[in-house]
Amino acid sequence: MNTTNLTIKPTMRIQAFYLFFIMNSIQTGSGIMGVPRYIFMEARQDAWISVLIAGLLVHLVMAAMFAIMNHYENTDVLGVQTDLFGKWIAKLLGTIYIIYFFFVLLSVTMDYIQVVQTFIFPRMSAWVLSLVLILLIVYAVMSGLRVAVGITFIFFFLSLWLLIFLYKSIAYMEITHFQPLLEASPSELLRGARHTSYSYLGIEILFFIYPFISNKEKAKLPAHLGLALTTFFILLVTVISIGYFSPGELPEQVWPVLVLFKIVEYSVIGRFDVLVVTEWMMVILPNMILLTWIITYITKRLYHVQQRKVLYVVAVLLLIGAGITKHEYFILQIIDTVAATGFWVAFVYPLVLLPLVWMKSKWKRRKRGGAKT
Amino acid sequence: MKKRGMRRSNSKELLPSSIENLKTKLQEAMHNNPDFQIRDFEIGGQRVLVFYISIIVKKQQLNDNILAPLLKGDKQWTTQKLINALPLGNNVAQTKLNEVVDALVQGSVGIYIEKESELITYPIPDQEKRSVDKSDKESTVLGPQDAFTESLTTNLNMIRWRMNTGDLVTEKLLIGERVPTEIRLVYLKNLANKEDVQTMRQRLQDLVVDRIEDATPLTYYIEDSSTSIFPQFYQTELPSRFSYSLSMGRVGVLVDKSPTGIIAPTSLFSFFESTEDVFMRWNVGSFIRILRFFALIISAMLTPAYVAALTFHYEVIPTPLLTTLGASRAAVPFPPVFEALLLELLIELLREAGARLPTKVGQTIGIVGGIVIGQAAVAAGLTSNILIIVVAISALASFTAPSYLIGSTIRVIRFPLIILSGFLGLIGIMASICFLIIHLLKVTSLGRPYLLPIYPFVGKDFSKTFYRLPYYFNLKRSFSYKPQDMIRYPKKKARKMKDIDD
Repeated sequence: MNTTNLTIKPTMRIQAFYLFFIMNSIQTGSGIMGVPRYIFMEARQDAWISVLIAGLLVHLVMAAMFAIMNHYENTDVLGVQTDLFGKWIAKLLGTIYIIYFFFVLLSVTMDYIQVVQTFIFPRMSAWVLSLVLILLIVYAVMSGLRVAVGITFIFFFLSLWLLIFLYKSIAYMEITHFQPLLEASPSELLRGARHTSYSYLGIEILFFIYPFISNKEKAKLPAHLGLALTTFFILLVTVISIGYFSPGELPEQVWPVLVLFKIVEYSVIGRFDVLVVTEWMMVILPNMILLTWIITYITKRLYHVQQRKVLYVVAVLLLIGAGITKHEYFILQIIDTVAATGFWVAFVYPLVLLPLVWMKSKWKRRKRGGAKT
Repeated sequence: MKKRGMRRSNSKELLPSSIENLKTKLQEAMHNNPDFQIRDFEIGGQRVLVFYISIIVKKQQLNDNILAPLLKGDKQWTTQKLINALPLGNNVAQTKLNEVVDALVQGSVGIYIEKESELITYPIPDQEKRSVDKSDKESTVLGPQDAFTESLTTNLNMIRWRMNTGDLVTEKLLIGERVPTEIRLVYLKNLANKEDVQTMRQRLQDLVVDRIEDATPLTYYIEDSSTSIFPQFYQTELPSRFSYSLSMGRVGVLVDKSPTGIIAPTSLFSFFESTEDVFMRWNVGSFIRILRFFALIISAMLTPAYVAALTFHYEVIPTPLLTTLGASRAAVPFPPVFEALLLELLIELLREAGARLPTKVGQTIGIVGGIVIGQAAVAAGLTSNILIIVVAISALASFTAPSYLIGSTIRVIRFPLIILSGFLGLIGIMASICFLIIHLLKVTSLGRPYLLPIYPFVGKDFSKTFYRLPYYFNLKRSFSYKPQDMIRYPKKKARKMKDIDD
């Protein structure tokens, strides 16, 4: 099964425009809740420039990914790796992907549980919450990619309205917080850009979902637009956070984006941030469902194990992982590690892979040409 | 159809045989039924047998159209002569015993002339049925009021008159191993999606049951997922709705002895459409349809939200409101979950009692239950005033659904939601919403996704599902169900505008 080209049944294919929602949903998750703080600590008031730099670089990475995939007829990164490095190294790299995705999933789960514990239920057990989330994930992933994409699509619209309620914090922004402009050094800006990596993680899903797309010639635009929307979201919350919080206050806030909603108040709703944290489940779930689907899919591709069985194993591991970790320090440690690893796996690796693919195809062509003459 | 052979294997040849022999064979096959009558005539020295089940044939027709011509004069009859002489159509020549018995139990009269090689049967069934009534379950203000009855002939008649086009196909199928029931697969030949028609036909043909009680149980046999709480086929008693769906390219099923028509495929949202929306002006129709979707959300979410807020999230309620709520709940000794469950249960009891009792008593019960018990419950300090309002609104909202089936589904969904919100607060509600959406994404109706214009996304169909637009935007049929012909009317004609002072 681990051959280069894949044939996907027509009923399992998805249309290209869903890539927009897939890309945006898998990136927008737990990272965006806290990202302004991290960038701000590096680049201070120029943090928004860091976001733009990071956005541009990620677009480049995505272009590289498309270049790799277009070299082949219909395959995912596992097929590409087999083609380049042979069966055993490809299997090793695939396993790294599995472990990496599992830890991304774990970090997202733990982060959300922590947010809920902080904002809504300080004494709620992590076991209960992770059980609820995991049951939903298992139920969704049971029906495969089509349902996962459907959830992504519907939940995108069901959570988009949250943006509207940023209006109040926009009204309280202070323009002086952005001055003086360009105070940060280029290296600080780049370090700030690197700190966004946790929020941009997820574009590697393109490597796996690409063979499922029915109209590939139209795939680039929606994917890049989805990425651009992510950049816009991060930029928006970063700009508002810098303007809204005083420079001394922002580094104190672990989840500045959620705090931005605290100021919204109506005659029927007192604490809006509680609703936002609840609603955030709709932001986080598509993310987790897609990640779980990828894990089961890769395992099936590599080891020919039934996806259902993998799903149960992942669910149990996730439950244990999310249930037993209690210390905030430890959770932050995991998130930092995932972010650092993700930087290499998601952004650097495709850029390394592309020249190899080029070289291989050039070598092949020369060999074939040599045989002819 | 092969399976049906199992039902009666005694397909014995009845003829040729002597008159006496035939008589005993028929009596035997009819198990000496007291209603089964065999009349032995001697006309011009020739013996003629006329036999029928007396209570299910039309006596008038039997006397005027069969016996009177038969007994007039003293001529020699042959089967062919008889067919020519009797003013009835539908004569069937029979030789097999089981076929004769089948015809007899369906209200046929059998005639056998001595020494002929076959006997003939004439169907003149006398079927008791009620007349066409006003719709009770799905009442509408505008538009046709008539409803299906228990008679398939009447129902087909109503559909035929509504859709008097040669395109209408009503395929006949017999389902039921022990008691066969006639079923009609109704669709427009040049419009309905062929795949849908084939799927439906296949499911009906593959069905092996002893007997079908009604159209509603039939849907439970053939629908996509029997574990889901959501109905997957639309059931209607309105011929207008049935024929409207046919003209949109759907497939319909009518069952004999059932006042319910089945329509498939359906999406969740078609349960919130009423034919009335089509008869309304588009802007009013849109308003009402959107109102129904809001009603759905209110009905499912309002009580759980109350429970969640009052159990865990006091901080979400602003202080002035909290004071009012607190004052009204001050005397209530129960936690909000219990309080809400109690009241919801009360409403459900009232609804069920109202539905079971005769109309006049039902109204009284409604008033007694609604006003007296509600007031007393508050006065006794069992529930708060505000919860009574909340529960009443959500009960009211659940009755706005044009389909009774989806209304009951929503009312049942509310209970797990209330319990979960009592345990996990807002998180519980959100988790259940997510669960419901995931579930709805999995459900299919006749193999087509249940959330159709939303996912898979078909933006063009939004104006047919969620709101309505003026007629010149509705040039096309719903794209979601892929009818053979998309165009309802040409664009040019619809768009033609007159100049000023033209």
